[in-house]
Amino acid sequence: MDASALALRARRLERLRSTPGSGVAAKTSTPDPAGPALGTRRSMSGRPQRRAEVLAKALGGRLIGGSNGRLVEVERSGSLALSRPPLARLPDPVQPERPLVLLDTETTGLGTAAGTLPFLCGLGSWEGERFSVRQLVLPDHADEPALLERLAEAIPVDAWLVTYNGRSFDWPLLVSRFRLHGFAAPAHGGHLDLLPLARQLWRHRLADARLSTVESGVAGVRRLGDLPGAAIPERYFRYLRTGQGWLLADVVRHNRQDVASLARLLRVLAQALGGDSASAVDGTMHPGDLCGLGRAYVRRGRLEEALDCFDAAVTGARSILAADPWTVPLHERLAMDRARVLARLDRRMEAVAAWAALAEEGGRLSGLAWIQVAKYREHDERDPVGALEAASRAAREATRRSALGLPLPWVERDLERRAPRLRRLIHSLSAGSPAA
Amino acid sequence: MFYLEVVMRLYTPLDTRQALDRLLDDPVIAGAVTARRTLAGRPADMVPFPDWLQPRLRKALVGRGLTGLYRHQADAMEALRAGRDVAVVTPTASGKSLCYHLPVLQSVMEDPAARALYLFPTKALSQDQLAEIRDLARRADLPLEAAVYDGDTPAPIRSSIRSAGQIVVTNPDMLHGAILPYHTKWFQLFEQLRYIVIDEAHTYRGVFGSHVANVLRRLARVCAHYGSTPRIVCCSATIGNPRQLAEALTGRSIQVLDRNGAPSGEKHIVVLRPPLLDERSGVRAGSSGLARRAALSFLRAGRQTIVFGRSRVAVELLLSGLREALRDGRGPFERVQGYRGGYLPSERRRIEAGLRSGEVLGVVSTNALELGIDIGRLDVAVLSGYPGTIAGTWQQIGRAGRRQEVSAAVLVAGAGPVDQYVASHPEHLFEGTPEEARIDPDNLHVLLAHLRAATFELPFASGERFGLAPADDLLAFLAEDGHVRQAQDRRWYWASENFPASEISLRVAAPENVVIIDTGGERPRVLGEVDLFSARTLVHENAIYLHGSRQFHVDRLDWEERKAYVRPIDVEHYTQAELAVTLKPLETFDEAPLAGGTRAHGEVMVASLATIYKKLRLETNENLGWGRIHLPEIELHTTAYWLSLEPKVASDWTRTELDVALVGAGRVMQTVASILLMSDPRDLGMVAQIRSPHAERPVIYLYEAVPGGVGMAVRLFQRHGELVEGARQLVASCPCEDGCPACTGPRGETGGNGRILAERLLRLLHGDGEMGSRAA
Repeated sequence: MDASALALRARRLERLRSTPGSGVAAKTSTPDPAGPALGTRRSMSGRPQRRAEVLAKALGGRLIGGSNGRLVEVERSGSLALSRPPLARLPDPVQPERPLVLLDTETTGLGTAAGTLPFLCGLGSWEGERFSVRQLVLPDHADEPALLERLAEAIPVDAWLVTYNGRSFDWPLLVSRFRLHGFAAPAHGGHLDLLPLARQLWRHRLADARLSTVESGVAGVRRLGDLPGAAIPERYFRYLRTGQGWLLADVVRHNRQDVASLARLLRVLAQALGGDSASAVDGTMHPGDLCGLGRAYVRRGRLEEALDCFDAAVTGARSILAADPWTVPLHERLAMDRARVLARLDRRMEAVAAWAALAEEGGRLSGLAWIQVAKYREHDERDPVGALEAASRAAREATRRSALGLPLPWVERDLERRAPRLRRLIHSLSAGSPAA
Repeated sequence: MFYLEVVMRLYTPLDTRQALDRLLDDPVIAGAVTARRTLAGRPADMVPFPDWLQPRLRKALVGRGLTGLYRHQADAMEALRAGRDVAVVTPTASGKSLCYHLPVLQSVMEDPAARALYLFPTKALSQDQLAEIRDLARRADLPLEAAVYDGDTPAPIRSSIRSAGQIVVTNPDMLHGAILPYHTKWFQLFEQLRYIVIDEAHTYRGVFGSHVANVLRRLARVCAHYGSTPRIVCCSATIGNPRQLAEALTGRSIQVLDRNGAPSGEKHIVVLRPPLLDERSGVRAGSSGLARRAALSFLRAGRQTIVFGRSRVAVELLLSGLREALRDGRGPFERVQGYRGGYLPSERRRIEAGLRSGEVLGVVSTNALELGIDIGRLDVAVLSGYPGTIAGTWQQIGRAGRRQEVSAAVLVAGAGPVDQYVASHPEHLFEGTPEEARIDPDNLHVLLAHLRAATFELPFASGERFGLAPADDLLAFLAEDGHVRQAQDRRWYWASENFPASEISLRVAAPENVVIIDTGGERPRVLGEVDLFSARTLVHENAIYLHGSRQFHVDRLDWEERKAYVRPIDVEHYTQAELAVTLKPLETFDEAPLAGGTRAHGEVMVASLATIYKKLRLETNENLGWGRIHLPEIELHTTAYWLSLEPKVASDWTRTELDVALVGAGRVMQTVASILLMSDPRDLGMVAQIRSPHAERPVIYLYEAVPGGVGMAVRLFQRHGELVEGARQLVASCPCEDGCPACTGPRGETGGNGRILAERLLRLLHGDGEMGSRAA
């Protein structure tokens, strides 16, 4: 491109400037009401050193400099005791002797595409009872290699990461940043993502599974004047444009609270898992939480622990009422889960007793439970008559539910085949082939 | 006539030559012939397999019955091996795909870490070529991870394609929106990328091509970041400027390989022009009657025939007409099938297989079959309507013609001006250079949009080029609204929450688009987008919008929300909107004198207001009614080519005469310009001013209908001579008396002497002395 072509390009840009909407515009359209962002044209004043210093001062942090950029490190600590051994009993166990690194990032967007920048990494760790949060803050785009290098140093190779949604967001994003700068992400020993666990344990009694909801509902934390997450990217862009470090103070506080919440949730989990006592679970836990924990164990195939949870929850569950007539009450769900686990553990007698108890109760799951009883009587006890009796109880239950407007389609479908088969079986037996 | 009917009903198997002769004996056909040519056949130009070809690959080729390579295939292998980037330019079905499959497989055999990226403009082509390369790999006992990565790829296998796919087959839209912005997840591909294959490169023209060129610029940046320097293989149908297009698309120096080694049989081509329905008005019959008659004759002779229609409706009408006629004579009507966009993939596959096996005798298709889908080769191609370009015509004609046998093609011109021009100037088709595919990757609107996406992907170093020049001036411009930021290291970084790739559709020019929503299905779905400027003429309320040769009726256009709600419809008319346009030149880039005035090109501001639309019958352009359009005025910055007359030259014309002459001449030039530039006639707008407020003289403007233009205006400026001469000839040779839709416009609109006045003006512009003296 020669000089005249470049000059032409400049004139075209100038014309574009004077027409909002990039060339095609309805005549009536007005410029973006927000206008160009404040401070857009403010120069960077050519003093990058100063920029990082201002930020460090505004955040009460210290300046870390290296050959590949500078960053601000903010560190706060306090006392927050955590008993680690119970963490080994989590459905996804954490090896308690490993250093725990609690990690949460603040970013310029929600995606993990190449243009999303994690500009703040909060790292929580324990030294004895002392819990400290170290935050790495990026003063400028250009400093990212320094931040990544510092981050890599802060994660020991045997570290166990603890995050909230970090498995699908924070960590892949960081991996992608390391890749972008041409090196591999730091190795680590394991990764506990608390989001799925929180969903399993606590979602049933909370409005959603966001960290702020969970921490207030479970750990009793209430944040005052917290910066909403959605406002964070724009706050950082404003800081980038203006260089005013105080803009990030709210973001740093928000992130520190997120990391501290991770620590508190870990503590709640440790207590739930029996604290220092040898017993697996804490019987004082909410029965719904126990039910969720039990199910999490079932998913990992850890049936004994699951059973402990269900056993511990049974008593309390009866006092929990279902929200509406369409929801299966907690104690019935628990009884069902418990019976299933017993069957998988091959404790057949106990399993059928559990099904029978649920069946006799006449609740929402009674029909389903009668079917299970029928199965057991037919196949284990070789008692087709008893089985048919159970099947007809199931049928009666289905009819009754149907009349109430709450039909049991699964039960009805099952009975369409089971009942006639049992009748045929009984008939052939009573017809008396002596060999049978 | 009775005798003829009896003859026509005979189902005697005839060879293609005999069938053609019989057709030409039909007086109705004979009277419509405007040209007849025979192209001699030629043998294959074969080259032995190169000795460095991997033995297993050689085995695979031998297994397919090959004894060597065609000249162009061998040329491609050698050039790529020598490290060149190439463009293979040979006709339809000449074995182009081996030109890239072989080098890619060779490189994977030499190093299993090697990767290749294939780009096809459509999903159907992707699937076809995937099957092809898997077959080759299987024959070569090569374990190969090759997969299509597009919108239909299931999420669970996406990550394995990212990490392990040796050949990734995708399209430019997917590369743009789903691969490049996530390049860190594709690092294995980008680190080891050896080949980029760009097939059907001639389809990347106009706005789409300008976008694709920028996507490829972004791809090149990402490759450079990961340290790979892949070779590029472009494949293109025959066009006028293959090297220029390939170089503009890729930004590399390209070696063109066009020594076609594929054999071909003798080919007979006939051009037909339907008869005049009304001599005075110049209205002609549409193309479908003659097309059906010709196709029927070949089908009855048992020749495998493909019929191309220009729209979905045309295809359906032709198909039902053919089937009915064959059924009447107890003919093989069930062996004639339709094929067009909107058919299910499985249905298409079945028809393609039927064509290859011979079970399907005839197929009626839209240009969905134009792109290299493998249907084997047929005996006869019948084109109902001129496909719009020389290159496209040869592609459709190329569907007929088995290696050694005689084939035939019949082109039936439609009623429109371009069709009529081709019918009366068949030399344009046979001797003319195929059209050029124009793109302008440096269209400022397109360039800025992709620069945003590129900055999102990787920061720009100060002084780094994007395209032809360092991008700093543009980045500084983007920084003004805060989306881009220059950091302390002087590099430019993305500084916004937005995802810029999602703001760009490769198919339209401007960032602000109207989304077209199809409400006809079970749930509404997005059909496509049009830019704001075109939206008013394409998707105004009650417009018939064509998409993938399907018709949609626009029920509602929500201008504020930028949404058009449409539903599928089958009607026999289309709509044409009229714009009241005012035009103001902003900058003249170049200017030259001509007889009686000057010609120029430059940047203009076009303000336009959509006023009314007309309903026109599909085949004949007959006017069926009109309606009003209520939409705001829009301004468009674009490029234009214009002719201005010396005021004294036209001093003895009345104002009305001058107006009629300018409009008539402008219309003809618009027609010829779209023929010259291989463009949709709608890509160019025309404004005629008796006394331009700017130049204070009569001016005819031809402006590009997309913001910033794609370089058509400058080409018209350069090819001015051909343009005016073509326009003059078109009018001179038009058989109408005083203006018709095929030349200066219908008589009703231009008064009785529109044609004469336009002709006089064009002769004057052409530099014929006679008019000059009269003016003096």
